[in-house]
Amino acid sequence: MKNCGQFRELLEPYALGALDPEDRTTIEAHLATGCPACAKAVEEARWLVSQLAYAAPEAVPSDMLKGRLMQTVRAEAQAAKPHVIPAKSAIPFWLWSAVAALLVFSIYSAWNTRRLENEIREANDRAAAFRSERQKTEEQLADAKREATIMMDPTSHRIALWGEHAHPETLEAKWHAQLGVCITGDKVPMPSANHVLQLWFIPKNKDAKPMPSAMVRPDASGKLMLYVSAPPQSMDDTKAIAITEEPAGGSGWPTTPVLWSGNVS
Amino acid sequence: MFLAAFTSTGPREVSRDATLLLRLLQKDVSAFEQLYDRHSRLVYGLVLRILQQASTSEEVVQDVFLQLWRNADQYDASRGPFLPWLCTVARNRALDHLRLKSERQRRREDQPDELPSVVVAPEYEKALDEKRRAERVRALMASLTPQQKKAIELAYFEGLSHSEIAATLKEPLGTVKSWIRNGLLRLKEGLQATT
Repeated sequence: MKNCGQFRELLEPYALGALDPEDRTTIEAHLATGCPACAKAVEEARWLVSQLAYAAPEAVPSDMLKGRLMQTVRAEAQAAKPHVIPAKSAIPFWLWSAVAALLVFSIYSAWNTRRLENEIREANDRAAAFRSERQKTEEQLADAKREATIMMDPTSHRIALWGEHAHPETLEAKWHAQLGVCITGDKVPMPSANHVLQLWFIPKNKDAKPMPSAMVRPDASGKLMLYVSAPPQSMDDTKAIAITEEPAGGSGWPTTPVLWSGNVS
Repeated sequence: MFLAAFTSTGPREVSRDATLLLRLLQKDVSAFEQLYDRHSRLVYGLVLRILQQASTSEEVVQDVFLQLWRNADQYDASRGPFLPWLCTVARNRALDHLRLKSERQRRREDQPDELPSVVVAPEYEKALDEKRRAERVRALMASLTPQQKKAIELAYFEGLSHSEIAATLKEPLGTVKSWIRNGLLRLKEGLQATT
């Protein structure tokens, strides 16, 4: 067996890769024996040879080379990442919150719209009722004015309606040529239940039938006020006016005896 | 674990390489890019010097760095510095490419593609930054005799053996062996004196 000194001159060329096959086989066989001194010397020789890389002039590779490398490396890095199924929902929390807020707002808006519609409807109903009441009041006021005018106007024709049978009270009628007829009375007996007092116009023509007119019930104190704005015939054609008690809703022909009557002309 | 890496080149640079290599093991793309930016000029210059053809050299450099990316765990940082190891990988790849159609390469193609063993820094090695180290090596190479320099360059950059160099230079085999061995010893002495 050769000693280490015989191999020393082969160690640097071996590290350089310059040995011919026969010498390389010889040194590798010796290194395989585990000779520590030669193993260390080979390591130092390899480091020395590695320093020869600096003998080459530095050169700059193209940007395309780096581009290709980085593209490959990034693709492999991305492919190596484990595909983890996200624990959280794909829909972010803020989106759920926005949907919930929108839902709450929609419900509130629908409720508020319905509330406002009800309030508007109620307001319209109140306005209609008010208008109706006002119109009724205006009509009553107009009637009252006409009645007052009829009662106060000296041109109005006064007619006394005398009571018959058990109705001794006297009613008073005033007939204005343009404004109509107004009949008033006090302490007038209340007609039977479901009955009213009905006014009749008796024509001068003997063949003509009594003409039915307005109906009324006295108030609780017995006060009676009856106004007919448009009598069925003129004062000149009327012989008398009369009042009978008739079923509620009135009759087309007197069905009970005359309670009050008075001659017109 | 990385003590060896701190004794080969400039401490700051080695520390930086060691940090980047740790991140590279975690498949950190940014660490890979920084390693490429730090060392691609030296590696590409070496490969271009061997192959003398830019497009082929870029293909080899791409293979070297992709191998680093894919097999970074094969580099044992505890046993040697990174850059000499990377240069050794690049040189072997380039020489393999150069010998692609040769009889020797056809025999090697049957062997598995293994990374070279680590390059252990000697005890006399002290810190030198990369720029000063390059200047020193080039100065030492320039100080060799032209025959020594030529023989070493034929061996290192062209992968020729003693007998192939002798045939190329038409010099006796023993003379070529002396040029190479003496030239390498002179380089070693020069680096020891420098450090």
